Amino acid sequence: MPLYELGIIVDPEAPPEDETSTMERLEGIITDAGGEMVDKDARGRRQLAYPIKKKNYGVYHFWTFNVDGEALETLNFEMRTNDVVLRSLILNMDRELRRKRKMDVKLAARAEKKAAKAAAKAEAAASASATVED
Amino acid sequence: MRPHHKKRFRRRVKICRFTVEKINYIDYKDIELLREYTPTNGKILPRRVTGTRPAFQHKLTRAIKRARFMALLPYTGA
Repeated sequence: MPLYELGIIVDPEAPPEDETSTMERLEGIITDAGGEMVDKDARGRRQLAYPIKKKNYGVYHFWTFNVDGEALETLNFEMRTNDVVLRSLILNMDRELRRKRKMDVKLAARAEKKAAKAAAKAEAAASASATVED
Repeated sequence: MRPHHKKRFRRRVKICRFTVEKINYIDYKDIELLREYTPTNGKILPRRVTGTRPAFQHKLTRAIKRARFMALLPYTGA
């Protein structure tokens, strides 16, 4: 199951019970499909950079979760048809982070090489000073 | 004839921030970072101006466009 990240903007003028019920329903879709929540981040009310549906504020939620890809269709459908949801964006984090992992490995290798080189140099300097002392 | 003289420019050395700081994933939620690459008119600064490496410029534009979609950044300046 790939790791996904969901960003969602909820209408701040909607009644709070509507908001909680939609969020619960969305979470239900994920867990019903055998997925599991990894992280839930509610950023709360924030001013939008431009009005959406004539609203200037939005409530932001960011979730990360593991779920099978088929569940995304129902998730997207639910969010599209729900009036409380202003915007939503799902990213496949496995795909997003693939390059990062590759680069992390590369950077680690480079750092190791550098450290080895520095160590070799220090050793050479030490042995050189030792010969001078002799 | 015009006097022959060389005008010397001292170009400011541009550095790629992502290479230096080893940032290898640009998150669209990191608005503080993205703001540095979008002036008040909302456009994305070209790498010609910022010195960002091509690979990171691609990631940066992607992140900025995602942030715009999620209304974290404006499409146009106010």
